[in-house]
Amino acid sequence: MAEFKKFDQKSWVKTNLNYKKDSGSWAWILHRITGIALIAYLFMHIFSLSPLSQGRAAFNEFMSHYTTPFFMALEWFLFAFVLFHSLNGVRIVLVDWADGAKYHKSLYRYSIVIGVVMFFAMGYVMFSHEIHKLFR
Amino acid sequence: MYKHQNSRSSGSFSWVFQRVTGLILVVVMIGHYILMHYTPESGHTYDAVLARMQSNWYRVLDLTFIVLGMYHGLNGIWGIFRDYKLKQWQTITIMGILIIFGLAFTLWGIKTVLDIPYVQTSTSELLVK
Repeated sequence: MAEFKKFDQKSWVKTNLNYKKDSGSWAWILHRITGIALIAYLFMHIFSLSPLSQGRAAFNEFMSHYTTPFFMALEWFLFAFVLFHSLNGVRIVLVDWADGAKYHKSLYRYSIVIGVVMFFAMGYVMFSHEIHKLFR
Repeated sequence: MYKHQNSRSSGSFSWVFQRVTGLILVVVMIGHYILMHYTPESGHTYDAVLARMQSNWYRVLDLTFIVLGMYHGLNGIWGIFRDYKLKQWQTITIMGILIIFGLAFTLWGIKTVLDIPYVQTSTSELLVK
């Protein structure tokens, strides 16, 4: 009988970095990272929209910082986080409730493909004015 | 051995509710994101927001979004902490921080939405405030 390796708390990070990861492990890690990022974003979002109650001038002043190309690019990458978390979330629900354990790896691959396509489609929608100016 | 854990509740309710709110959020998210973040025409000015918020549907959408998003997010954070062995005082501290910050920001968001004035007249003309 194989002996179990004693759990060493000091090498916890190393163990987590070194074990062989299939698609499910990556999905789990990325789901956590995107989830933490999204709840942090929700707090920031509530904070950044609060000048709405201070009237027009204050709000427009505040929002002028967020409509720069830099922040639009950030918003685009926020969509990548949202996409991964939603698609993988649907995958988790299917695994839990629709016998998805039998096909979760192909589900993961499909959701990555769908996600990449939707990411670039959204990039086109967001920057359509700029793109049209470029190719006029 | 398990007396410091809340053994009365198995957590199955929050597990189910996490999935249900997640699915609702995906649906609400599509509307919120396409309309308010990613359409260049939808506008981020005060007047654009004011015009949108004349409709109670938008207000209800936003309030749903704040409450469900906050629950789903903070329950997710709590789920991450529950993966690790916590002492009772750590459980209480983390729970306390999550609940206080969650409630405060939820109420702040709700207040922001409800503070937006109704300025529409009966002729559905937008008055300049």
